[in-house]
Amino acid sequence: MPKTKSIKKNKKGYESCSGCGVCLLVCPQWRRTSSMSVTRKARARAMQAGVLPEEIASSIDACLVCGSCEPACPEEISITSMNIEQRIRLNRARSKYPSWYPVPLKKAFISDNSILRRSTIVLAGGSGLGQKTCEHIINLLGGSKKAGLAADDGRDIAALIEAGMVLDDERIKYFLNNLRYADTLVVAEGILHLPLREWLPGKKIKGFGEALMDIRAIRRSLGPEDMYIIESRGYHSDFERLVKYYDRLRHETGCQMNLDLQRIAIPTGASSLQARHNIETAGCLEHAKWIMKGRRVKRIVVEDFADIKVFQLITDIPVIHISGLI
Amino acid sequence: MKIPIIERGFIPPDPVAPDSLKGIPRQQTNPVRWKGDSWQDFVDHLKADGVIIRQERSECAVFDTDSGGLAYGLPHGIVRPNSAEDISKTLKAAQTYKVPVTTRGGGLTTEGESVAFGGLLLDMTSMNNVLEINQETMTVRTEAGIFWHQLAEMLRRDGMDYLSAPLNLTASVGGTLGVGGIDVNSPRLGCSADQAVALQVVTPTGEIVECSETENPELMERVLLGYGQFGVITEATLKIRKFSPITMKYFYYSSLRTAIEDLQFIAKEDAADYCGILTIIDRAITLLVAFDSDEREKEFNERWRKKMRGHGEIGFGIRMALHYLLHPWRFKEALYIIGRRLTLFPEFSRTEFMRDNKIVDRTVVFSRAVWKYWGGRQMVIPDLSAKAEKFAEAVERGNAVCRKYFKYYTLYCVGIKLRGRLPRYEMSCIPADASDIAYGCEFEPMLKDMDYSRDHLQAFKNEIYDIGVDMGLSYYRFGGMMKGYIRRVFPDEVVDRHLAMKREADPAMILNPDVIF
Repeated sequence: MPKTKSIKKNKKGYESCSGCGVCLLVCPQWRRTSSMSVTRKARARAMQAGVLPEEIASSIDACLVCGSCEPACPEEISITSMNIEQRIRLNRARSKYPSWYPVPLKKAFISDNSILRRSTIVLAGGSGLGQKTCEHIINLLGGSKKAGLAADDGRDIAALIEAGMVLDDERIKYFLNNLRYADTLVVAEGILHLPLREWLPGKKIKGFGEALMDIRAIRRSLGPEDMYIIESRGYHSDFERLVKYYDRLRHETGCQMNLDLQRIAIPTGASSLQARHNIETAGCLEHAKWIMKGRRVKRIVVEDFADIKVFQLITDIPVIHISGLI
Repeated sequence: MKIPIIERGFIPPDPVAPDSLKGIPRQQTNPVRWKGDSWQDFVDHLKADGVIIRQERSECAVFDTDSGGLAYGLPHGIVRPNSAEDISKTLKAAQTYKVPVTTRGGGLTTEGESVAFGGLLLDMTSMNNVLEINQETMTVRTEAGIFWHQLAEMLRRDGMDYLSAPLNLTASVGGTLGVGGIDVNSPRLGCSADQAVALQVVTPTGEIVECSETENPELMERVLLGYGQFGVITEATLKIRKFSPITMKYFYYSSLRTAIEDLQFIAKEDAADYCGILTIIDRAITLLVAFDSDEREKEFNERWRKKMRGHGEIGFGIRMALHYLLHPWRFKEALYIIGRRLTLFPEFSRTEFMRDNKIVDRTVVFSRAVWKYWGGRQMVIPDLSAKAEKFAEAVERGNAVCRKYFKYYTLYCVGIKLRGRLPRYEMSCIPADASDIAYGCEFEPMLKDMDYSRDHLQAFKNEIYDIGVDMGLSYYRFGGMMKGYIRRVFPDEVVDRHLAMKREADPAMILNPDVIF
């Protein structure tokens, strides 16, 4: 029986924060607002001084849970888990939630026998991929005998995790039950990567980027005139491995990427709960503008389907999903 | 706030060092917290002027200490300025109501200089826009609250880079210009403050003034390396250059003096683009040498390499093995060195930062390593800066103090190219007797997982600083401790002259109090 009570035990908590501020440099909300208050550093320092989560509610709510701060932290604090745990604590103390919070629905549990014996299962999540695109992805991943599209993609679980709301153990159990025989899970919701690794140890958890870039024909279709947008949550949740993977990809293809000088993926935040509510107030357009500043490219290729809309709003350059490369 | 009138030539009792009794541990004493007289009037005034002031506990607590982690204090409130005008209004009101104002960038001070013991804290990091990158004049104009790393991110989009900056991602431009700023290319390019070609400054009385070497040069010279005493830097024009990856070489020594002599030789002969010494205790001493171009590396290999007395890694490893075979009771030290070597050096060659055996983004590589392996909630990094002839002795004496106080520590040595005898160097990190190239050494104990008392740490720092007094040196990252040492290090005539200038510029003595005055 998988453990579902917590996503991941913190190696270190806010008490270990030295206040170096390196996390701040990669925080999209800091970049956008220049306000120390919204940063992970400020929250950690305030809590070290005895401040309660309620007193920093606006800062906790501002976080896009992009995960950028975690690999940047020299103290190796599990910041993403810490951010979510702070939301859990805050939710316990308040009765009024931000407008973008998910409404917990009583979801009918689905037993999806059609995909049970597939070695690769695709969880398309709430990213907006259409049926046709999903079928194309299944074909790219080896066809319907090898790969299957999960009807229960866990998007509700992802939303609850992000919001720091209570996860129902029964719901998780049914969700995982459908995935138990697969070797590889291709998961669009980056925020699910870390819990899935913990819940289903031994399975390969990949984002769309890694799963599709393993196909040589797709890799070959990328070039120096492409701007490749990595989905930040999945990337940062397995940073030590993926930073090398994407570095090789960049070296091999010559494409440009949304990586900063620390090799952190600059997020648009398009898949955040805030952005699903309002893409502008979540700051996605400003984040995307920063990613594109000074870039000279002819095409934008995104891993996260939600990013397509964001880039289309700020540029005339064609934007395609990675699955559209071939 | 009551500023006592100090008669010329009179040294008041000092709790930090000079008047302490021999044998009694000297402690750093945080300045007395400002009581808050007239605070509400000040707040009302600023609000009426349209300046947002934050007083919530959650806002103030963020700034309760600095990187040193030894000095703690809380401001009454915070202003996060959006413009020089905001700062001007703030300082004018502060003069009127005599409210102390502490400026803060990255908060990387180690002696409490950027900690507000009451009063107002100016969080300059909100002013972080790059205003213009000019590739014709090879300069960048930026707001001064920007972190060097943010600036690097902006410059790199245009294929450019700054000249030299602290190996620290979260140092701010304004804060760095106020104290100096050292990089491993400083033996060649000078300190960061010497990159500045023009500044916008808000004086302590609230005037917004442009200055450069030709426009208001006196103010320029006072503000650079001026420890925030003569104004708040709001914008800076800095020299830039084309970005280039670097090739790094390491030479290993077992003698500090030999390594220092080789470092000075490289700096004097301009044999490399970057050079510095990094040690593991005083057993494994590494001289880092790096080059911006293949031509420079080739020239080094042809002309200078054979003069280096350091070993390659294998040769040094064999010598170390022999040494510890003959000194088996020191096996723990050997294990520490091996462990440190195995964890630290791979950080310098992570594949994602390497291209064709060159380090790309060296600042990121080094800064990440600095925070990872030397960072922590407390950082104790006293330093000494000396002219070339005195440097080796200063480092050896400082090393002996490190040995006395700590099991494990690191020394970091680097040169600083001087631009003649500029007024800005007076009463600064640049030793008064240095010419051409000054040298600095940081003494940094490893504090992670160790329990040391504050007294222990402070006594260590004082003992290092005392070497500076004894040898007539200076300190290249000093600040809070200077208040206790300033009259011991510099002649009364110099200190009094600067104090008089400070009083004239800042009649209520409100800007960055207790840093040096």
